[in-house]
Amino acid sequence: MKNRAWSQFCENRWAVAGLIILGIIHAAALFADFLAPYSFSNEERTYSYAPPSKIHFRDEQGSLVPPFVYGAEIKFDEYRRRIYQDKADEKYPLSFFVQGDKYKILGLVPTTIHLFGVKEPGRIYLWGADSRGRDLFSRLLHGARISLSIGILGVAISFSIGLLVGGIAGYYGGKTDDIIMRICEMFMMFPGFYLLLALRAVVPPNFNSIQVYLAIVVILSFIGWASLARVIRGMCLSLREREFVLAAKTMGLSDLRIIIRHILPHTLSYSLIAVMLSIPGYILAESSLSLIGLGIQDPYASWGNLLAEAMGIVQIKFAPWILLPGFFIFITVMCFNVVGDALRDVLDPKTSQ
Amino acid sequence: MAPTPLTPKVLLVALAFLFFFLTPAHAKPSYGGSIVLTSTSDPKSFNDITAKETSTREVTSHIFEGLTTMNAVTLQVEPALAERWEVSEDGHTWTFYLRPGVKWNDGEPFTADDVVFTFNDLIYNDDIASSSRDIFTIEDKTFKVEKVDDLTVRFTLPVKFAPFLRAMSQAILPKHKLAKAVAEKKFNFTWGLDTPPSEIVGTGAFKLSSYRPGERFVLVRNPLYWKRSKEGDALPYLDRIVYLIVQNLDTAMLKFLDGEVDYIGLRGMEYPLIKPNERKGNFTVYDAGPDFGSSFVVFNQNTGVNPKTQKPFVDPVKSKWFLDINFRRAVAHAIDKNKMMEILMNGFGYPQDSDMSKSAGVFYNPNVEKYDYDLLKAKKILADAGYIDRNGDGWIEDPEEHTVEFNFSTNSGNNERVQIASIIRHDLQSLGMKVNFLSLEFNTLVTKLNSTFDWDAIVLGLTGGIEPHFGKNVWHSTGGLHMWYPMQKTPATDWEKRIDEIFIQGVQELDENKRKVLYDEFQVIVSQQLPLIYTVLNSDLYAIRNRFGNLKPTSYAGPFHNMEEIYINK
Repeated sequence: MKNRAWSQFCENRWAVAGLIILGIIHAAALFADFLAPYSFSNEERTYSYAPPSKIHFRDEQGSLVPPFVYGAEIKFDEYRRRIYQDKADEKYPLSFFVQGDKYKILGLVPTTIHLFGVKEPGRIYLWGADSRGRDLFSRLLHGARISLSIGILGVAISFSIGLLVGGIAGYYGGKTDDIIMRICEMFMMFPGFYLLLALRAVVPPNFNSIQVYLAIVVILSFIGWASLARVIRGMCLSLREREFVLAAKTMGLSDLRIIIRHILPHTLSYSLIAVMLSIPGYILAESSLSLIGLGIQDPYASWGNLLAEAMGIVQIKFAPWILLPGFFIFITVMCFNVVGDALRDVLDPKTSQ
Repeated sequence: MAPTPLTPKVLLVALAFLFFFLTPAHAKPSYGGSIVLTSTSDPKSFNDITAKETSTREVTSHIFEGLTTMNAVTLQVEPALAERWEVSEDGHTWTFYLRPGVKWNDGEPFTADDVVFTFNDLIYNDDIASSSRDIFTIEDKTFKVEKVDDLTVRFTLPVKFAPFLRAMSQAILPKHKLAKAVAEKKFNFTWGLDTPPSEIVGTGAFKLSSYRPGERFVLVRNPLYWKRSKEGDALPYLDRIVYLIVQNLDTAMLKFLDGEVDYIGLRGMEYPLIKPNERKGNFTVYDAGPDFGSSFVVFNQNTGVNPKTQKPFVDPVKSKWFLDINFRRAVAHAIDKNKMMEILMNGFGYPQDSDMSKSAGVFYNPNVEKYDYDLLKAKKILADAGYIDRNGDGWIEDPEEHTVEFNFSTNSGNNERVQIASIIRHDLQSLGMKVNFLSLEFNTLVTKLNSTFDWDAIVLGLTGGIEPHFGKNVWHSTGGLHMWYPMQKTPATDWEKRIDEIFIQGVQELDENKRKVLYDEFQVIVSQQLPLIYTVLNSDLYAIRNRFGNLKPTSYAGPFHNMEEIYINK
């Protein structure tokens, strides 16, 4: 049964591609410290809005040499546009497994080795620099950590709440059901984004960045659990009449055990689809909060606050690479949706019939 | 006489004359035409007395005038509705002689009654939320305003008040239109946005013609306007001023590049986008010099105790650092002004060292203590004052072994300010201070500043002017905007005491030179004690279409302070 579902899933090429892309992005986020040449806060103000570095494979004579980048000089032209000129006499060879900013592999082993980089004072900007000369490639990878983990953590919390509350409401029915469902409706009644802003406003302002991050996760879960609870409750209402539930009851199992062990697993396929389809919502919510400056705070990076730099026409015109975070948000959200859709086709009996 | 041969020299002179006459700047002013401007928000009303927002002032500044006006080029006070004035020996009594023949734009004559009404019935009326009342109240005492005859008004002041003439640019409103509303106590709601434009009566060069919310408002020429040009032409020249209401500055910029509007205010950041189109778009970018206003870091030096919880507003540990002048001095050396100007303003900026802007003219004091960007020096100052990393964790500790860690905020939404704060944060971090940065909504920030006082350090800005006394609310220790320790009963430090004295003496000193000495001293004290640690100022850049004559853009009043004199080149 499982294998059939899996092979059915594999037939959907888009979904497989989506899954692979998601895998790559998540892996990159996990090993961001190692893959990125710089830490998220490493800034070099001289290189403000430096364009993506050209990696040269040939020297002036045209002979093949190990890859290198030139040092750059920044000037303003008559229109005060930034002009980046390569300094011919400053070459920085690109090397692998180089010493760089300190970090801990997966938060455990301290090290300074990065996958690639150039020697100081050279700088390598694979995808260009932001206003303060921080490497966008490095910040995107570090930002992926925050943006993706907010999605996953947020979904995990809100689904635990949603499943449990929905399960209890559906299993007991009657007054309990009524009360819980009215509470759910209260949460769903508020327009999401304004509730988000209101809740953000009550977060104590002396929180540090990590606490703000956790607070945002909690806020997002707080908003997201109600709609799931409603659907789960509907499923439980029918499930509780089934024989196996009756059997469990007669065997004297406790209510909570029946809900968790016997009823909720039957809602699993639906939940899995819903999880896949709602992760993008969390990523987008974090991004929009950070975009308006109330989410993840500088110097920490998230895709939302990286994109906040790209809000003016001036920046987009002269440094178009700062739109990249938007592209990543788009790709990730799309992949989650494609994979979620494919999962529904495979797992949801109603639509597959 | 034989005709003189045309030597090259004569030819040159002749050519020079030809060009002299062809230059549009010397063309004869002509009537007619309109100018299209933008505003990023709707006015809230057309009531100049209750107006607090610039979007409202933008409209009313064309419609109403005061007894005096400030020449935006020379920064001197000049006559407007008052033709001349006299001051008594003791400096307490001012007599204004009103300009005869001035008419409200509905044809009624302008008289002393209107001036008396504006002060006694509007500004000093307890029922009216007047935004300029504070300026005309000294130590809780109001001015006595009396009519002598139809064209003479006498002001009796409780004390000498040096900025009095500047303050008299206060707009005068018509008694015949508003007396009824005041009697019925409806003035706060009078002249709202739904008022028919013909009801809004002023003496200014223009009058309101139409207003469509969210779209545009139009002002037309006031044919009854009193002012004449040097050539004797009845002003104004322009027929119409059209304000398009746009979403944001980016929209305004695009409309300007499309040729839909005639003017846009720029920042250095936008210069590379606008400047290359100068010829194609037929406009010129003017650099009017440093902005008024300021942007600074402020540390909370409040030593007060919250009356509700009996706890100090600021953690005593942190308070000790913030009160330490060496700590603030080290921070002042960690402000990378050059890079801020380069990154955020494309070089169109000025380092700020003093409360007064360079554009402020006489009262600007260039000889104040300056702090160069030098992290090593900053580190040394901290080390000498006992802030060093004692346990090797990378953060510095004070002599009592507390890690130097504090919160650092600014208001979200102002990208430039957030960037300034981030740059400072980064440098403070490299000094070993653990700085938690958080941008807050503007209103949250204001609440912290003036009622809850639970903040550590903030990056903020204030608007400024050329009259130092109008900053009293910030600098006098009893002031509500005395951010680092507001509303003190008695000055907490000697230098705050001295600043208090300067502000009290300065306002009563009518000799401008003696005033300057006082305010120069004040600026030096501020630069030594660093209650506010200044950062950088923007240049004011204006991009204006090339079809206008008589343009005299200044940083003080923008490009159109002399709107009545501006005409369209034919």
